[in-house]
Amino acid sequence: MKTKMVLTMAGLLVAAALPMLAHHSFAAEFDDSKKVMLKGSVVKVEWQNPHIWLYVDVKDENGKDVRWQCEGGPPNTLTRNGWTKDALQPGDAITIDGRRAKDGTNTCNARSVTLPNGHMVFAGSAEDGGPKAPKAEGQQ
Amino acid sequence: MSRIATGLALVAMCAAPAFSQGRGGPKPPEGPTPRMPDGKPDFSGVWARPYTPDMSMQIREAKPGGALYRDLPNISKDQKGQVQLPFTPAGKAQWDAYDPANGDYTGACMPFGLTRSVNSPDPLQIMQNAKYVGFLWEQNTWFHIARFANEHPKNLTPSWFGDSIAKWDGDTLVIDTIGFNGRTRLDTIGHPHSAQMHVIERYTRTDLGHIAYEITIDDPVTYTQPWKNVRTFTLRPDWEIMEYSCEENNKDFFEGHIKGTQDPNKPAASK
Repeated sequence: MKTKMVLTMAGLLVAAALPMLAHHSFAAEFDDSKKVMLKGSVVKVEWQNPHIWLYVDVKDENGKDVRWQCEGGPPNTLTRNGWTKDALQPGDAITIDGRRAKDGTNTCNARSVTLPNGHMVFAGSAEDGGPKAPKAEGQQ
Repeated sequence: MSRIATGLALVAMCAAPAFSQGRGGPKPPEGPTPRMPDGKPDFSGVWARPYTPDMSMQIREAKPGGALYRDLPNISKDQKGQVQLPFTPAGKAQWDAYDPANGDYTGACMPFGLTRSVNSPDPLQIMQNAKYVGFLWEQNTWFHIARFANEHPKNLTPSWFGDSIAKWDGDTLVIDTIGFNGRTRLDTIGHPHSAQMHVIERYTRTDLGHIAYEITIDDPVTYTQPWKNVRTFTLRPDWEIMEYSCEENNKDFFEGHIKGTQDPNKPAASK
């Protein structure tokens, strides 16, 4: 079952990456070589066009919160795939695999958003790991 | 370098089926081509289209586990491995100089123009009557109307989407468009075109669930000869197009992470 979930997610991850290129060129803003892996907690989700935005507090080496903002796909596509902004709540622990903005700000393009239980949020269809999926550890 | 980065991003997504909407979508309904009261094919419906960030690539059926676009990993400045576009010297110079980091009009929510709207991954609704064909793209809520007519008006005011007239060639709907303002690019990867571009699109509704689509780019300023791209649109009766305001939260632009573009038709400095 774990293997099946991994295979499904691999396909879904790729499908989720596609809509992000629609609005404008990825290369206009982001550097594909500047990979960031952000482990933090959700502050806010903005569910508006042209991209959803996730605001995350990530602890630095001193344990201080550093705010990041990462863009996801277009809300219309996500809505059609069964997702809503309620898939993430303030305080949720997430890991974002992203590509940093060329201007060096704490801005990224999120390639994937993963919960501690391994489920991917906003990837593929919501039935595969969305709000109906088991909650992450520590959540009610 | 920017095109390599774009190419790498495209490689990352090329293993999956073309459509951005979920897992490839349900099979379209089967049946004969619907027709208008006068017997002509009716193209009305909400359609899924393959996202086409690079019109120089022939769209092929995705092979299981394989790349969607032929030679996608070879996207590079010299187009090695791609269909070789027949650039004029001026066209090649424009192509070589393109760097979206220096300005991206779509990132600034300026009009996408005709070909980039057709290329977009979001749904398209076509509405048709005896006088007009209406193309309603969810992308940025752009629309464009083609009217059934034999010729374009004289003295057109150049525009982002051009002036389109519709004609029948048997059961194929031919959309002929001129009058572009030259401020757009053909596709996301940045292939150039001039204000003299002439676009010929051919829509053939082969059956209830499919449109065979062919677009010809005829632009002697930029390309030495016309060239084509072909795709298949798939009917999605389970979809309705949604509003898509590009401007409502375009943080990329209003926070300065990307730049818009100046009008290339205007001189760089005032005298």
